[in-house]
Amino acid sequence: MIFGIPDLQIVLGYGLALGLTLACIVYGWLYWNEEDKPDGS
Amino acid sequence: MAVNPLLMAALVLIYLAATLIIGYLGYKKTKSSEDYLVAGRCSHPVIIALSYGATFISTSAIIGFGGQAANLGMGLIWLTVLNIGVGILLAFVIFGKKTREIGHRLKAVTFPDLMCKIYKSPLLQYIAGFIIVISMPLYTAAILIGGARFIEPTLGLPYASALVLFALITAVYVVFGGLIAVMYTDAFQGTIMLIGMTILLVLTLIAVGGFTAGSAALTGMTDLVPKALASQGMTGWTSMPELGSPIWFTVVTTLVLGVGIGVLAQPQLVVRFMTAKDNKSLSRAVLVGGPFILMMTGVAFTVGALSNVYFFQTSGKIAIDAAGGNVDAIMPLFINQAMPDIFVVIFMLTLLCAAMSTLSALYHAMGTALVCDLWGRGRECALSMKAHQAGIVIMMVLSTILAFLLPISIIARATAMFMGLCAAAFLPAFAVGVYAKAPSTKAALCSMVSGAVVWFVWTAFFHAAEAKPLGLCQAIFGKVTLLGSPWTAVDPLVIALPVSLIVMIGLQYQYGKVQPAVVTAA
Repeated sequence: MIFGIPDLQIVLGYGLALGLTLACIVYGWLYWNEEDKPDGS
Repeated sequence: MAVNPLLMAALVLIYLAATLIIGYLGYKKTKSSEDYLVAGRCSHPVIIALSYGATFISTSAIIGFGGQAANLGMGLIWLTVLNIGVGILLAFVIFGKKTREIGHRLKAVTFPDLMCKIYKSPLLQYIAGFIIVISMPLYTAAILIGGARFIEPTLGLPYASALVLFALITAVYVVFGGLIAVMYTDAFQGTIMLIGMTILLVLTLIAVGGFTAGSAALTGMTDLVPKALASQGMTGWTSMPELGSPIWFTVVTTLVLGVGIGVLAQPQLVVRFMTAKDNKSLSRAVLVGGPFILMMTGVAFTVGALSNVYFFQTSGKIAIDAAGGNVDAIMPLFINQAMPDIFVVIFMLTLLCAAMSTLSALYHAMGTALVCDLWGRGRECALSMKAHQAGIVIMMVLSTILAFLLPISIIARATAMFMGLCAAAFLPAFAVGVYAKAPSTKAALCSMVSGAVVWFVWTAFFHAAEAKPLGLCQAIFGKVTLLGSPWTAVDPLVIALPVSLIVMIGLQYQYGKVQPAVVTAA
């Protein structure tokens, strides 16, 4: 059992939810000053 | 009532006054139809993120899906995974930026208008508008029910009064302030939601002795899973249902995939992308949106599941039994029983915020679809603010009537139905439309119609959860569904989306090359 949860699928779900949240933060930080492409496409 | 009525009334009045003041500020900034329809196309990233998140997360997510997590367990955390991965990352990065660029270039003001201008097809706008006007009231009604269900016991109002009051107050600032008022109030409401859900998580973890202790206690309650659920594949609240069982299909196809994928092509959310000034705004919105969604759905599903531990320790019952069998009543009951009085008030505000932010967006999307995309398509009157205001009022009344007609325990299912239909009908045509250099009108029309028709047929004749109450299959064929298990548990999305996708890709491949690329405003 991990964190009182016996099913790894549930643990993986929690791990992915937290990981993707972190990915959102990192993405927003990396592209904070992203410039639009000149041709608008 | 558990809380001091004076305190409750005072905080609710302060909240409503603040909401109306913010809505008024939005109204003052609304000078043109473009302001009313797409917030002037220059929204701040934080406003976009909070508005998108607060619109996305309604009482359905907190009350309906929280209740489903209490009933079916922590497997719903996979919906949070999709909410963040698909609903934020994929939606903003892959679809959002393209949608913004094309929306600006073509001066699109609604989702059907965007589709019309990409594909140069008024018929596509009519069909998309028709689907929105027909299906969105169902989702709207579910949100009204969710809010009214909490207001009813908390404020001691009759259910009918709570529902009508709720609908009217939200309509006021949408009608007058348009999308700027909607997004400003969304951001304010989103902030309150964030505070409320954070407190809910902390207090719940304190009540059950922490996450690990609570989960372990929940694991120890596996023997208490109702026989009716165990016989359909439920294995406990901390484990996934048995693969391929009816409960597995419900959790995975209806709740997780239906809502998780459906979010990508929801008209009221797609419009948010078109309010951004530049791509930088959307990138910055991702930074706020991801953590916001985690704190909404992740907390609701975790708290919902752990509420079983609280109810068992205090009353010897599991959550669904404590709530008298009504899934939608679990979260309100848990809040009222387990939380300090002051938090009941805060959480009520959180729910009001969740419901009002989504409701306002849906009113706006339905009203503009009715006026801009159906009644007045292509006419100058379609851009009249007064016409849109009338459209919003009409759709608000229809949704409120529908809310009175829907059965109990409908919130999560109605939400999944709406999102499933959006994905099946709109997603392939939307995705190809924003990315293909020469999108085929014929492919988009066939994909949209086939997705909607297959979704409806599967809903009415195969998926037991809807076919049974609808009664259409029974009336025509003399039986509840045309096929037996496991097909009766397979969500319409799982059938309709692949059909819609195959039609889109097949016809796009055949006809797409002969069409000119979209480069100018239609």
